[in-house]
Amino acid sequence: MADLSLIRNFSIVAHIDHGKSTLADRILERTGVITERDMRAQFLDDMDLEREMGITIKANRATCPFHHDGRDYMLNLLDTPGHVDFHYEVSRALAACEGVLVLVDATQGVQAQTVANAHLAMESDLEMILVINKIDLPAAQPEDIALEAEQVLGLDASEAVFTSAKSGAGIEELLKAIVERIPPPKGDPEAPLRALIYDAKPDPHRGVISHTRVIDGGFRRGDYVDLMAVGRKFLVTEVGKFTPKLTPVESLGAGEVGYFFAGIKTLADVNIGDTVTHSTRPTQKALPGYQAPEQMVYCDFYPGIGTTTAALREAMEKLWLNDSSFTYTTVSSDALGIGFRCGFLGLLHMKIIQERLERENDVAVVQTAPTVTYEIELSDGEVKRIESPSEVPDMAQVAEIREPIVDVQMIIPADCVGTVMQLSMERRGKQKKSEYLSSTRVMLTYEMPLCEIIYDFYDKLKTCTRGYGTADYEVKEYRVEDMVKMDVLVNGVPVDALSVIVHRDKAAIRGRKLIGRLKKEIARHMFEIPLQAAVGSKIIARETIRAFRKDVTAKCYGGDVTRKRKLLEKQKEGKKRMKTVGNVAIPQEAFMSVLNPDDD
Amino acid sequence: MSAPACGLYVHTPFCETKCGYCDFFSVPVRNCPTAPLVGRIVLELSVRAVDYADRIETVFIGGGTPTILPLDELDELLTAVGRAASPPRVREFTIEANPATVGDEKANLLVRHGVTRVSMGAQSFFPAELAVLERLHSPGDIKPSVATLRRCGVAEVNLDLIFGIPGQTNETWAESLSRAIDLEPDHIACYGLTYEPGTPLTGLREFEQIEPVEEGLEAELYSQAIETLSDAGYAQYEISNFARPGRQCQHNLIYWRNGPYIGVGPSAAGCVDGRRYKNVADVAGYIRMVDSQGHAEFESETIDTPTLMTEMIMMQLRLLEGLSIAAFCERTGIEPLRAFRKVLPRLFDLGFVAVSDTHIVLTRKGRLIGDAVMAELATACDNSSDAGSPDPTHPRTGGSLP
Repeated sequence: MADLSLIRNFSIVAHIDHGKSTLADRILERTGVITERDMRAQFLDDMDLEREMGITIKANRATCPFHHDGRDYMLNLLDTPGHVDFHYEVSRALAACEGVLVLVDATQGVQAQTVANAHLAMESDLEMILVINKIDLPAAQPEDIALEAEQVLGLDASEAVFTSAKSGAGIEELLKAIVERIPPPKGDPEAPLRALIYDAKPDPHRGVISHTRVIDGGFRRGDYVDLMAVGRKFLVTEVGKFTPKLTPVESLGAGEVGYFFAGIKTLADVNIGDTVTHSTRPTQKALPGYQAPEQMVYCDFYPGIGTTTAALREAMEKLWLNDSSFTYTTVSSDALGIGFRCGFLGLLHMKIIQERLERENDVAVVQTAPTVTYEIELSDGEVKRIESPSEVPDMAQVAEIREPIVDVQMIIPADCVGTVMQLSMERRGKQKKSEYLSSTRVMLTYEMPLCEIIYDFYDKLKTCTRGYGTADYEVKEYRVEDMVKMDVLVNGVPVDALSVIVHRDKAAIRGRKLIGRLKKEIARHMFEIPLQAAVGSKIIARETIRAFRKDVTAKCYGGDVTRKRKLLEKQKEGKKRMKTVGNVAIPQEAFMSVLNPDDD
Repeated sequence: MSAPACGLYVHTPFCETKCGYCDFFSVPVRNCPTAPLVGRIVLELSVRAVDYADRIETVFIGGGTPTILPLDELDELLTAVGRAASPPRVREFTIEANPATVGDEKANLLVRHGVTRVSMGAQSFFPAELAVLERLHSPGDIKPSVATLRRCGVAEVNLDLIFGIPGQTNETWAESLSRAIDLEPDHIACYGLTYEPGTPLTGLREFEQIEPVEEGLEAELYSQAIETLSDAGYAQYEISNFARPGRQCQHNLIYWRNGPYIGVGPSAAGCVDGRRYKNVADVAGYIRMVDSQGHAEFESETIDTPTLMTEMIMMQLRLLEGLSIAAFCERTGIEPLRAFRKVLPRLFDLGFVAVSDTHIVLTRKGRLIGDAVMAELATACDNSSDAGSPDPTHPRTGGSLP
C-alpha cells in the first residue's frame, strides 16, 4: 500500500483558453510521464471536437511521480472540462481531489468560468493554488492579475505561482507548491473498501473503464466488488493507473487514483458517483455520490435528409453509451414525424451532442428550437415539468407557469457596462451586483430567466464587449412568470414543431420575427398561405405568402421535353425533402430558422 | 396495333442574328456557310427517316429561320424531306419563317414541295417591343409577308406572338392581338416571354437593364389573350396555342400526346420506340458525325415507366383535351386516378383541375399555374407506392372523383 502522505490529488480549473491543457502537458513532461515531443501538442484533449472547439469536454488524467526533498511523491492530476455547461463534470472530478489549481491568464485576468469553477472548489473545501499563467506574453500583467484574483476569488495574491506553460517557467515551483500546500488524502487503508467512481468511459474491447478514487481500503485484480447504488457484484479483471496510458498495477490503495475493469458492459450498467466496496467485506456507509446532472435545455432531433429514424435511433444509442450526460426519449411530431426529445446540460452541450451525432454516425439531424424546462401548475394543483411547448396543456387548465431563473455572472470591460446592462434588461434581467475588479474590468451579476440566455446570449455578449466579455450561470430556482405558449399556424394548421413558450410581453415581437423568417423560408404555392402566430385563440402576428399568379412553361415541344422534365424532377425531389403541413411544403431550414430568433 | 403516326422534325440552325430571348440552337448565317450543313441534313434524312417513311404523317422544319436558306439549298432540303415523307401520308408540312424572309419565289418553292403551313414569328406589332426582343423585322413587314404566303397558295398560316415583354401593357397587347387577328391567320401561338438561362435577355435582367413585367400583369395578359382569341374564333387547345376549328398543329399534337417523332439536324431531338435521342448542337460536330456515322446522335435515354408517367403528365396536361386516362393506363400500366388520389381532390377543390370520364384537365385557373399542378401530380405519382398495376376487378370510375 502506498503511503498516503506521499499522494496528492488535484485538478486544474480555468476559463477556456487560459492554458489548462498546455499546463497539464508541462506537468506531465516535467515529471517525466511524457517525454516525446512528437506527442500531440495537447495530449489530454483526445477528441476531435474538443480540439476544434478548443475546449476540453471529458475529464482526463495522469499519475505523475515527483521527487522532492528526498521523497518520492505521486501526483494525480485529474483534468476537468472548462465550459459553463459542464459544472457537473467539474464537480465530479473535484470530489476526487484534495486540491485545485486555479489557473488565470496573465493577460486576460479572471473570467466568468474561473469564478464559477473556483466557487465549486471552495464549496468542496479544496485547497486552492492560484496560478498566473502566460507570464511570457508581452501583454502579461501577472501582479495586477494576481491582485484581481485576490479580490474576486479571495485567494492570497502573495501566494500565487507564476508560470508560463509554454516556456515551462515556474513549473518546478508549481510542483513544489502542489506537494507542500495540497494536503495528502485522508483515508483508512485498513477500513473496508470505499472507492468513488468519478468517471466512466466505454472501451471498445473491454466494456466500461471506471475511473476511480480510493477513499478507504484498497482492491486488486480478482476481487469481487459491489457497486452499491447499482446493487450488482462484479469481478475486477484489471486495476491500473493512468500514466497517462492505461498501466495495470497490482492494486489501488487508499488515496490513490486509477481505473478498473470489472466486466461492466455498458455505461447503462454503471452510475457515476457510485461507491465501490468489497463483496466479502462491504462498508456500511456509501460515499455521498453525486446528484444526477439536471438537463435544463431540451430540443427535439428529427431525422434529416437521407436519414431514417432507425439510423438516428442507433446513433443516439451509440452516443449515449459514450456520454450519458444527455437524455433522450422518442417523440412524435405531426410536422416532423418520429424523432427524439433530448435533454442537455446547456446550449453548448446541445451543440456538441448534435455535432458528435452527425459526425461520428453520418446521420443528418433536423433540430427544433431549444427550450428550457418549465414547471406548470394545473388548476387542480398538479405540478408538471414540461420539456417541450407541445406538452403545454390547454391554457385554460393552467394555473401558473414557472420558469427556471439563473444567476448570470459576467466579467466585462468597464466601458461596455452600458451596453451589457441594456442587453441584460432586454433579456428580462435584474441586476443584483456590480463590482469593479480593476479600473477597466467589471463583474456584473444578474438574475435572468434561463430561456433568455439559451439562444444567443453569449454571442450577443461577445458582440457587445468586442469579444472580451465572459459569462457563466447557475440555476437558482423556478419562478412564476407570465409565460404563454405561442403557436404557429401555417395555412391555418398549427405546426407543433414551431411552437415556443415565451413571456407574454415578448410574444408579439417574437411572433413577428418568427413569422417573418418563415415567410422567407417557405416558397410560394399554388394558393395563398397565411402564416400566423397565436397565443391561445388570439392572433398576434400575421403574414401572407402570395400564391403564384402565373407559373407555366410557355413552350414545350419535342426538343424541350428532356430538359423540362429534369426541371420537374428536381422540383419533385425538392418537394420530397419537405415536410407537408396543411398542404404546405415546409423546408427543413424553416424549422432550423426558429433557432436564430434575433437576426434582425 | 398499327404503329402510331410519327412526326418528322428538321432543324436548320441559321438565323440572320440571334434574338436576345432565344435559347434554341442557332448560328448567324454570315458566320457559317450553309451548303455543307444542308448537305449533311439531307444525308441524315436519308439515313434516319427511311425506316419510318411509312409512318411519318407530319413534318416540321424549324430553326433558326429555315427560309433564310438560299433558294437552291432550300430546294435541296425540301426535296430530301419529300423523299422521306410525302403526301398523301403526310397530312401537314410546316416550315418556320420570319416576316420579310419569304418572297414570292420562295413561297412558290415551298408550295411546290408540299408545304401546307407556314409558322411566322410576328411576336409583336410594336417597334419598341420588337426592339426589346431584338427582332429584325418591323411591324409593317408582317402583313405583306402573310399576303405573299396566301397569294402563293400556302394553305395555313400561324402567327407567333409574345406577351410579357418588358414595357408591354394591356393596351399594346390588345393591339398586337387585334392586328394579328385582322390578318386572319389559321392559328395563333401566344408565348409568355421566358427568361431562359444563359440568354442575353436573362443577362440584361440580371444586370437590371430591363425590368420584367410584374407577375400579376403577366397573368392578366395571358387571360386577355385567351379571351380575345376565343372571341375571334381562335379556340385555345394548348397552354400557348389557339386555332380556328380543325386548324390545330398536327405535328405539335404528336409531342403533346407523347407520340413518336424523328429529329434531324443539329440539336434536333427524336423520340421513337421508347427511346429519346438528341443530336449534337454544334455545326462542325454535326458535319463530322454525320460524315463518319450517318447520324449525329449525341445522347439518348430510354423512357422507362416512371419517366413516361412524368412526361405524359407534363405534356398532355398542356392540352385542353387533357391527360387521357385510357392512354395513361395503357402505356404505363397505372391507373392515374389512383396514382393521383392523394392530391387530386385537393387540386379539384382549389379549382385547378377537372376530371371527366376520359380525361384529367387543367381548368383555366389551373393553366395559369400549370407547372405547379404538374409537379404536384408527378410527385404524387412517385409517392404512390401502391399505384402498382390497375386492379382488374375494379373497373375505372373516372367520374367518381372527388
